[in-house]
This record gives sequence, C-alpha cells and structure tokens, in this order.
Amino acid sequence: MTVMANNTLLLGTLVTPLIGAIVALIFAKSNRLQRSLAVLTGLVSWVFSIALLVQVHDIGIQTYALGNWAPPYGIILVADNLGALFAFMVTTIMIGGLLYTYHSQDRCMTYPAFVPLFLLMEVGLIGAMLTGDLFTLFVFMELMVLASVSLTAISDDQYGLEAALKYILISSMGTLFLLLGIAAMYATFGTLNMAQIAQILQSGDRSFLAPASAIMLFCAFLLKSAVFPFHFWQPDFHTTAPTPVSAMLSSIVVKVGVYGILRVVTLLFTEEALWIEPWLSVLGIIGILFGSLGALRTYNAKRMLAYSTFAQIGFILVGIGWGGPLALIGAIVYAFNHAFIKSSLLMLIGVVASYTKIKTANFADINGIGHRLPPALGWLVLLGGLSLAGVPPFNGFISKLALIQGGVESGDWRNLIIMVGAGILTLMYMVRAWQRIFQQQPLGSTAETKPVGDSYFAPMMMIIVCLLLGTLLAEPLIQLASVTVEQISDPSLYIAAVYPNGIGQ
Amino acid sequence: MTEIMFALTIGILFGIGVFQLLRRDLIKAAIGFAILFSAINLFFVAAGAFEGNYAPYVSNVEADRQTSDPLVQALILTAIVVSFGSFSLVLGFVNIISRRYDTIDSNEITKLKH
Repeated sequence: MTVMANNTLLLGTLVTPLIGAIVALIFAKSNRLQRSLAVLTGLVSWVFSIALLVQVHDIGIQTYALGNWAPPYGIILVADNLGALFAFMVTTIMIGGLLYTYHSQDRCMTYPAFVPLFLLMEVGLIGAMLTGDLFTLFVFMELMVLASVSLTAISDDQYGLEAALKYILISSMGTLFLLLGIAAMYATFGTLNMAQIAQILQSGDRSFLAPASAIMLFCAFLLKSAVFPFHFWQPDFHTTAPTPVSAMLSSIVVKVGVYGILRVVTLLFTEEALWIEPWLSVLGIIGILFGSLGALRTYNAKRMLAYSTFAQIGFILVGIGWGGPLALIGAIVYAFNHAFIKSSLLMLIGVVASYTKIKTANFADINGIGHRLPPALGWLVLLGGLSLAGVPPFNGFISKLALIQGGVESGDWRNLIIMVGAGILTLMYMVRAWQRIFQQQPLGSTAETKPVGDSYFAPMMMIIVCLLLGTLLAEPLIQLASVTVEQISDPSLYIAAVYPNGIGQ
Repeated sequence: MTEIMFALTIGILFGIGVFQLLRRDLIKAAIGFAILFSAINLFFVAAGAFEGNYAPYVSNVEADRQTSDPLVQALILTAIVVSFGSFSLVLGFVNIISRRYDTIDSNEITKLKH
C-alpha cells in the first residue's frame, strides 16, 4: 500500500470556513469582529479554491485521503474539474454574501450564531462538492440543510420560522431517501467509495438494487434543487430567508443538487442515465414553464426571483437531459453563471427592501420606491435583469448561447422553442419588476422609507463579475467547462485518480 | 427466520413513520420522522449482516463463524447523531411555533398563504 499523494489545498478549502466558524463562536461577544473574521475566512478559502482549480486544471485530479487511510478504508476528498469548478463558484459567491452581511443592518445578523451558521453552510456546500464518498456526501448535505434552516428560522421576516419548519420536514425526507439509497448501495456493492462503485458498475455487475438506489439518489438531488414534483417549498423558503442567506440559497445551495445529478449521471449510473435523462428533460421543461409563469404573476419581488430560480434550474436540467457533450458544457456554464446573476439580483432586491420600514419586498409596498433610493441601484437591478434574461454582453447571454448550441446538437427543436420563449418571459417579468420599483410614481400605499438601507457594494461587485464573465472571462469559462466535460465523460480518469495502483491493493 | 423478522420490522417501522409524518399534529410528525430514521438505521444493520451476524473484534470468534460488517455500525453512529440533531431542531421549531401561532395543527399554520 503506497502513501497517497495528498493535496492540502483540498483540505484548506474545506477546513478554513470550519475553523472560521469555531473562532467566530469564540468571539460571540463582538459582532463587528465576527463579521470581519467571516469575510477574511471567505477570502482565504477563496484563495485556496482558486489555487486548487488551477492545479486541477494543470496537473489533473487531486485527492486527499483523510488521516492517510487509503481508500476504500478511509474517507477521501477528490477534486476533479467539476468539483473544483463548483467549489470555486461556491467560495466566490460566498464572499459576496459575507460582504453583504458585513454591511447589513438586519437584526438577525447581530445574533452570535448567525456568522458561524453561515460559515457552516459554506463547509457543507464545499464538502458535498469535494467528497469522494457517498456517506460523507450525505453528512455534508445534512450539515448544509441544518445550517440554512436555522438561518431562515431566525430571519427578520416573521414567516421565516414557518417556512423553515416546512423545509426541514421535506428536506429531511429527502436526505432520508438519500440515506436509504446509500444503504441500498452499500448492501449491493459493499463499499461507499464512489470510484469503487463506479468501477463495479462499469464491469457490468449490476444487481436489482442498483436502479432502485439510482432513483432514490436522483429524487434526493431533485429535492435539493427544487425541481418540479419537489419544488413547493422553494418559493416560501427562499423568500423569507435573510437577504444574504436567500441569495446563497437561490444561487449555490440549489446547485448542490445539480452537481449531484451531474456526478451520478456521468460517474456512477452511466447506463441508467439513458432512461433517466429523458425524464430530466421533461421535469426541466415543466420547471421552466411553471417557474416563468409563476414569476410573472407573483406579488413579491423576492418571490419572483425564487420562482425564476425554479425556471433556471429547469434550463440546466434540460441541458443535462440532452446529455451530449455540448449540452453538458452548456449546463455547467449555465449553472456557473446563474449563481452570479441570481445572487446579485437577490441582494439588490434585499437592498431595496431594506429601505422600507418593515423590510418587505411586496410589490404593493415597494411600488415607485426607487425615487427615494440611490440612482445607481436602479441601473444595477436593470443590468442584473437583462443579464438574467440573456441579453448580450452579459454572462446570461453566454450561458444561453452555450445551452442552445447543445440543443441544436441534439436536435430537440420542440424544447429549444420553449426555452427561447421562456427567455422572453424572463425579460418580461424582470423589466416589469424594474419598472414597478424604479419607474412608477409612488402610490398612496407605498411603505414609508428609511433614509439609510443596506450597502449595495457586494451586489455591485457581483454585477461587475457578471459583466466580466460575459465579455473577457467568457472564453476561459467555456474552455474550462469543455475540459470538465471531457474529463467527466471518462469515468476511468476519476477511478484512476482515486486508486493510482488499481483497485484491490 | 431472523431475516424475515428483520424485514418485517423495518417495513412496519417505515409504515408507522410515514403515517405519523403525514399527521396534522406537528409533534406527531416530528416523532414520525425519528421513527423513519430508526427504520433506515435498522436497514443499515441488515445491510451489514450479509456474511454473518456475529460481532466483529472479539478474541474468541470460532473459525467457522462469519462476523458481521463493522463499518455499518460506524455509519449508523453518524446517522444517529445527524438524525438526533435534525429531530431536536424540528422539535425546537415546533415549540416556538406553538407559542407564536397558539396551535400545532399544521392546517392552521398557514400564514405564508397570502
């Protein structure tokens, strides 16, 4: 048994926020210090993740065997291109959320547990994306769920608790089925190491339980992403969460499910994927239609964005459902870009809501409020909305283009037409929301405003990143996504990285 | 015989758990959730006993006896911790909700419906 080549960058990305959470708990007395510490932690973790991404891109798949226990006996962290890219996305968006927290005036952020929970959510997200072990995936997902539920329950919005209870019951049901699927896999294959299971599945040894556990895993991931039959909790939960939390929930927490589906489709159940992928397409299309129409008729700006997330996840699922290499590139680029657009938009709406006395984003209350806000805010919301609708030169355009290329490749014209139509719906609801907030004359019912609200520094930076991703960084991103797809379409690379000496050593 | 009893127990626990989870009373729903987790933990135990059901790591195991898989028990320990954490969180939420809404009937906690 040889000693594995351990890459500490993996551990650094994962453990930094964990240490930050613990240290933040020690300094529970000083809220200001906690928040600065959180931003610092986010930055350090971001530096680690970017170094990891560069290394994975240049050298190949990196691993870290915890406690030097070689797989399959120990837990192993694996960063291939997909995992490193998604972890990089998480740490980047998380900096935005932590910066918003730094400047925010919400009451819930003065609670000593807020910052540690926020960082624990980051640990769960990064862990779920970097682990190479199914049971650890379950633990990290549950950590993420518990942290986000607690954060929503202490929200300034009085209905946060109700939404949190609703979500924890539904989501625990989901994690329960994930656990059941994992148990079924263990009973079948006798291991929980993803690389080894992939190896066994590749060799054609497939028992009756394999498709059953595939379905259970898929249902759990679909629930985490709020896809059609499991979506009903999502608008409530994302609307009532505190602003930075809802920005994280709607952008990167839903991506854990997308990541899981990508991983399961490409690495583990490549044979089952053939009959699961058409279903993903159908569910995605239903999500696009319901999400776009729901966003059109909703009464609250944050809720509108939550419905919009429902639709955008549908786009990604249709991309995965097409299954061709170009479509997968499109799906990954779309997932990456959507995280930036949606988090910046939710934070901007949060800033708008923070100017009202009762911190609401109901359209009835924020009608025409824009006349009393900083003028830059209106332009930022408009830019974000155009980006979400896929207008050039923003990153939304790049991701739609990449996805449509995949659709043309697969020749699925019916779904393509629906997706382009839904793009127009996106433009409609975003521009209408912008007009209602920033263009209309204030009505009598408009809520009273405060002179000072949250700072819009963090979302402004995110919008600038969106612009960069649509212009200068578009080419490298697509390059990175195509390298990723090349890598994940060959599971033997992943298996060889985890077992450099072959299985059975 | 043990296998059948085990399978029956897991099945019955699943049934009770799902039934309780769908009750209107939120405390009963929370308890149903705990029962469901126990059912899955039992399923894990059953998954580990595919070679034999003697305890591993005892010095006087006879040569012909097959031991059960020790890994599942480590997994269950983690799963119990996780389930206990979520269970207590749910109960805490129900506690605060019962004070804020004066009820634990999930049909009456509908303020999110506008």
